[in-house]
Amino acid sequence: MARTTTRFGSRLDLLLFGVCAVLALVVTILPPDLHAPIASGLRRTVVAPLIGLQQGAERWRAAWAASQQRALAQNSLALRAAEANALKIENDRLRRLLGLGQRLQWGFVVAEALQGGGSSEQFAVVLTAGSAANVVPGSPVVAPEGLVGTVQTVDPTMSLAILYPHSEFRASAMAVDGSAFGIVSPHISGGAQEAREGQTVRPDRYMLEMRGVPFRRQLKPGTLIVTSGLGGTYPAGINIGTVVAELKTPEVWARTYLLRPVVNPAEIGSVMILLPQKAREGTGAVWEAPGSLDSATKGVVAAGDSIARADAALEASRRAALDSAVRASRPDTAPPRDSLRADSVRGLRIPGRTPTTAPEGATPPRPAAGTDTVRRPDTLRTRLR
Amino acid sequence: MSWSTAIRTVIACAIFIVLHYSLRPLLAWRASIDFLLIALLFGAVRMRPGVAAIYGFALGLLADSLALGGFGASALAMTLVGFAASWLKAVFFADNLVLNGFFLFLGKWMFDIIFFLVERRVHGGELVMQIFVWSLLSAAVTALAGVLALMVLRPLLETRTA
Repeated sequence: MARTTTRFGSRLDLLLFGVCAVLALVVTILPPDLHAPIASGLRRTVVAPLIGLQQGAERWRAAWAASQQRALAQNSLALRAAEANALKIENDRLRRLLGLGQRLQWGFVVAEALQGGGSSEQFAVVLTAGSAANVVPGSPVVAPEGLVGTVQTVDPTMSLAILYPHSEFRASAMAVDGSAFGIVSPHISGGAQEAREGQTVRPDRYMLEMRGVPFRRQLKPGTLIVTSGLGGTYPAGINIGTVVAELKTPEVWARTYLLRPVVNPAEIGSVMILLPQKAREGTGAVWEAPGSLDSATKGVVAAGDSIARADAALEASRRAALDSAVRASRPDTAPPRDSLRADSVRGLRIPGRTPTTAPEGATPPRPAAGTDTVRRPDTLRTRLR
Repeated sequence: MSWSTAIRTVIACAIFIVLHYSLRPLLAWRASIDFLLIALLFGAVRMRPGVAAIYGFALGLLADSLALGGFGASALAMTLVGFAASWLKAVFFADNLVLNGFFLFLGKWMFDIIFFLVERRVHGGELVMQIFVWSLLSAAVTALAGVLALMVLRPLLETRTA
């Protein structure tokens, strides 16, 4: 009995399977206009809620894709903004370089400074101009902000220049008003050893030092230091840096100042090489133009100077009144000592430059006994020769 | 099959059918998980072969109603796979996840082969590519999803003996 039931069940199963398979085959071979109503009927009834589900899922997916697209668009927009900023900076720099070229008028070669040489020459750059463009060893390398370095070796189409942080860099410098002179060199103090050992260079390694400033000459922080033109390597008046502070050294009769360079080594891209004739004849007040310095620093310095100038003018008028009163009371008095001797340093003032520390009309500070009062006329004579 | 088992099977199959129309479009993978086939196999092994064939036919028609061409191809493929699964239910009932996974893999691949051959939409190299690459991948992910679902729904699907 059980076997009969199983056999019947098997036959029924086979029958049902056969019917389903034949139906499916029939449906498959039906022409589209005949099976379309069946499909449509199913879609409107049984499948309708499932279609709703699918639509919801598709909508979710579309929303997610749209949000991804929006995020991508935002990212690309941010990237473009960053690129625009970088382009703006480069544009500003090139514009300043153009302005410098216009002010120099002649006697220079524009070159690209290719950084990233060997680690042994960390502070040297390859310049894309050489002897074919009349570049010679010792030619000053300048940027719109000021002095960059000097050419060391020259090939026909390229040259190698050392930057101001290089241990061999030296420049004869002075305060912009000509009140103090000295030699500018890199602020090394252990930095060279670090560089040799391949360690990270300290941030203050990029600073400069102005050595040999006479003890009686005190420079205020923010005072602009420029090339003095002595020695003939660099023409007078190229910005080097600003005084940050005085450094304590064992020297007794001279002061050493820490300078913040006006040129950022990381931003050195396009530079100008001054040709020998231009270096000899001088550049004039090229770096005096606005925008050549950090405007904030310049503003601070200018504000400080104007106050000092006003104070000095008041002091001068007070002294003049006092002197005239003394002269009136003693007619046979000898003239004041200051009028007998002009400070030789004042003769070295750069044309077009205005002093930032010693005001015009104010009595120059009287040198103390035993200082470099003898040396100054000598240096002037050397220059005039 | 008792009423409780039938209800639990219906619930499980309904879950898979819902997942087919909600999760699958959300994932939108090139080799997608076929939850309808999982629903078919899960249901078929708990039915008599004849009923499984009808169940497969109905599910196939459901899938065909949303297809642009090849109406009936899914119905035929699912009828065959459902009937075969019901015959081979002894294998599927084996408490071995790997075996169950292989069964799902084979079921999905067979379905795809029958479907593409009956549908006659793709030919030549494309058909070979579809059967031996995309169908195999789809069968693999379907098997994986099926095994996971089997693990999750085991408390619901297991038969209790008094």
